[in-house]
Amino acid sequence: MRIAWRGAELRLLLPIIVLVPLGFAVTHIALSGMFEPGPMELAIGYVAIIVGAHFLLVAFGHRGDQLLLPAVGAMGAVGIVMLNRLPQDLAGTSALGIELGMAATQLLWFAVGMVAMVAVAVGLRDDGILRHYKYSWAAIGILLLAATVVFGYEVNGARLWIDLGPVSVQPGEILKIVLVIFIAAYLAETRTLLTSARLRIGPISVPPLPYFLPMLALFGIVMLIVVRLNDLGTALLFFGTFLIMLFVATGRRSYVLIGLVLFAAGFYVAYQLFGHVQARVDVWLDPFADPLGAGFQPVRALYAFGRGGVFGEGLGQGLVTLGGNLTIPFVHTDFIFTAVAEELGLLGAFALLGFAAVLVFRGLRIAALARDDFSGLLAVGLTASLGLQTLIIIGGNTKLIPLTGITLPFVSYGGSSILASSIMVGLLLSISHRTAVGADVEPEA
Amino acid sequence: MTGDILRILLLLLQLGFVALLYLLLMRFAGSLLKDLRSAEQAQIASRSGIGRLSVLESPEDEPPAGTTIALGPINSIGRNVNNTIYVEDDFVSTNHAMLTFRGRSWFIEDQGSTNGTYVNGHRIERPVALSFGDELTIGRVRMRLDR
Repeated sequence: MRIAWRGAELRLLLPIIVLVPLGFAVTHIALSGMFEPGPMELAIGYVAIIVGAHFLLVAFGHRGDQLLLPAVGAMGAVGIVMLNRLPQDLAGTSALGIELGMAATQLLWFAVGMVAMVAVAVGLRDDGILRHYKYSWAAIGILLLAATVVFGYEVNGARLWIDLGPVSVQPGEILKIVLVIFIAAYLAETRTLLTSARLRIGPISVPPLPYFLPMLALFGIVMLIVVRLNDLGTALLFFGTFLIMLFVATGRRSYVLIGLVLFAAGFYVAYQLFGHVQARVDVWLDPFADPLGAGFQPVRALYAFGRGGVFGEGLGQGLVTLGGNLTIPFVHTDFIFTAVAEELGLLGAFALLGFAAVLVFRGLRIAALARDDFSGLLAVGLTASLGLQTLIIIGGNTKLIPLTGITLPFVSYGGSSILASSIMVGLLLSISHRTAVGADVEPEA
Repeated sequence: MTGDILRILLLLLQLGFVALLYLLLMRFAGSLLKDLRSAEQAQIASRSGIGRLSVLESPEDEPPAGTTIALGPINSIGRNVNNTIYVEDDFVSTNHAMLTFRGRSWFIEDQGSTNGTYVNGHRIERPVALSFGDELTIGRVRMRLDR
């Protein structure tokens, strides 16, 4: 096998090697008032994990995309610098007698995530296991959801967590991947049937129902349970991803239109039925109506954006505290983007968006170059999911759309999120690897 | 006094951090551009074809397993050497099947073969539209339609 050195990837990783320790140093100087670098273990650990992932890919002769890992590394770098700057007791683990702070826990999960990413990228030589067992994947997804409904416990009004001894996991994160695999496999198989339908009502062509039903049924169940678990962000994410994949597979605008109408209707019903939804929308429309109660989160976030301005307050110099507590709630998970915008300003926030854009751009490129329909649709679904998740939470932070509690991929604190996002990038890598290897086989004349 | 120096140094480091973020972003942009240019050229060079068949399994080794066959718009498959795609296998009929590209999709049609034509393991009764990635079985030969 030819050795692929992945030089472009290494070149892009070089700035990150300096970036993370620099961010840690700035934070330490600002917080302590002394000109010294401060503790560097976590910064070095992070750099080691990312560069280690690079060398693992080289060692296994991986020939996939070289921009995905640096993009992930850059987003994670901003994340770990922010998490290191926040008070370390916001979250953390104390398992097996070892106490770990928030940034250290995040680092641990990053290590797990990167190993999972490389394992998926290298281990998945053939997509048969994904494609042929699509109903098994769907069943696993349903089981995961059912487990959450039965064993789950509530955090902030949404029942998402399962307690597994030392760690709590969010099955919804894994469900996201399983669902994309199922939809991609199903659409790849029925694509031609879906597009060749000639059932028309006026200007709108209607999908042939029999081919559509299994997928709609599964999707209905998922939506129902997600709404029952009060996890609106995930519901929005699933639906958006599904519509994008459907549009890419069929090229039919009418399907998207039907989907949007369904979504609007569903949202209206949910608004009428659930107080949870109503409260979210009311706060979104006018957070200043109750600035100390329901509107506390968004009002604090908006002030933080204002304080940050274009250049930011500086690492370790922003984030107002009130009686020793940070005023932005969930600053390490849902509102991490707000923290970045306050301390690094519009400039830093834009850079973060830029890294996410690189990730999406490369994902779509992998999809366009994929050698078969299933791989292409899978890449589209994974990319759409990562991209939409970024947009939904940033839109929520900036009051563009109602706030829903989901994580910013690779930046927010949270093990399940990092692991799931890493596996998704691993799948994208494996698809692009197969494309690169396939292109080597010269076609016979 | 020392406080002022500290503040200036901190500001400089802070600026360095943001500058580094943008240096990274510029490098990303550079890589993306370079890649787009080379992809454009590669497309002109190679991607003029409408599809190809990868031979996955072929007991008689004609066509040899592991090779790829470039496809024209109309391809006849069979044991007769005059076919576009000549298959040497006892279970393949003289004129076995037609693989054609019409409009935007590939179609496969059985030509009344003895042992039938299979798409993803299902025997076809009439012309069937294929997706890229579908598996075609003709006699004991297994092939996959690729882009």
